[in-house]
Amino acid sequence: MDKAAKSSKTARGTVACDNTTLHLLKANDFVAESIRKRMAENNIMLINITSSAGSGKTTLLQETARRISGKVKMKILVGDLETERDADRLRQTGVDALQIVTGGICHLEAQMIWQAMESLNLDGVELLIVENVGNLVCPASFDLGEDYRVTLLATTEGDDKPKKYPRMFLTSELMLVSKSDLLPYLPFSVEAVVADARDVNPNIDVMQISSTTGEGIDQWCNWLLDKVKEKQEAANVVAAQ
Amino acid sequence: MHEISLARSILNTLEAEFSSEQLGQLTEIGLKVGLLSNVEPALMQNAFEAVTTTENRFQQAVLKIETVPIVIYCEACDARSTIANYKFACSSCGQPNNNIVSGTELLIHQVRFE
Repeated sequence: MDKAAKSSKTARGTVACDNTTLHLLKANDFVAESIRKRMAENNIMLINITSSAGSGKTTLLQETARRISGKVKMKILVGDLETERDADRLRQTGVDALQIVTGGICHLEAQMIWQAMESLNLDGVELLIVENVGNLVCPASFDLGEDYRVTLLATTEGDDKPKKYPRMFLTSELMLVSKSDLLPYLPFSVEAVVADARDVNPNIDVMQISSTTGEGIDQWCNWLLDKVKEKQEAANVVAAQ
Repeated sequence: MHEISLARSILNTLEAEFSSEQLGQLTEIGLKVGLLSNVEPALMQNAFEAVTTTENRFQQAVLKIETVPIVIYCEACDARSTIANYKFACSSCGQPNNNIVSGTELLIHQVRFE
């Protein structure tokens, strides 16, 4: 911001603004940084899971909780426009889950995560997973302070999505091609979707999974466990210094 | 889409930066919107009008939206390339690259007072 203009009571003409001062997502990014700091202090691995509605996020997390909740202390925050249904489904697997009802808002914002964390006992938690609102557009722009962003793309959605929703794939570290058990019945090319995703984001990792048959679920669970370990080891290095 | 909340965020951001006397003289807000910001200029324009009218704030100000193309920078070639069709590669060496230098903007870059 032009300091002279800011202090002047009679600004006239054109005032150029500092890009960082008048960034419209500044408030969100500020809270996201606070979350990141808090997660670092407590050695909690924070994962933000995004996708379209109906691509299998909750089903995957149910399966994930069944497999790894005995190995790692995990909790889940789940965002939806309305209802407690997803949190109920997740709790049935024995995992502690909290629903964030956005009341019509199409994405989760960092402030919502910060507030939800107030009602969630994070003592000893090693892995916190946020299941975002099903939407490939808006959640892409909102940093939640996560360590990694994981995007599901179901085979039923079609293989043209990475280029249609580039920002989401650009900001994700991992793409999970879900519902792989349906591949024999669908005109979906895994090769094409991986090529398109890597056009947008050359560094994106890809796994093919099915919560129904279990394909790739061990690989996904091991990825999560590795990330938890990665955070704890990084913290140990800092502590040793 | 969240254009309505972004329109509110424009007003709140300006109110935090400028005095109400200054804002009384505000005639134009210049917004830069990158192609990767997921903001649709026409919807943003409508949302701004809806918010300023219903909340009776900034009604005298015009919103000017400038879209910004996606540009990447390749260190090896010391070259900038504009990205078309969301294929993130250097136009000089052809190597995949998503070192974005512009195109994600969502910011107020200038304001005009009468």
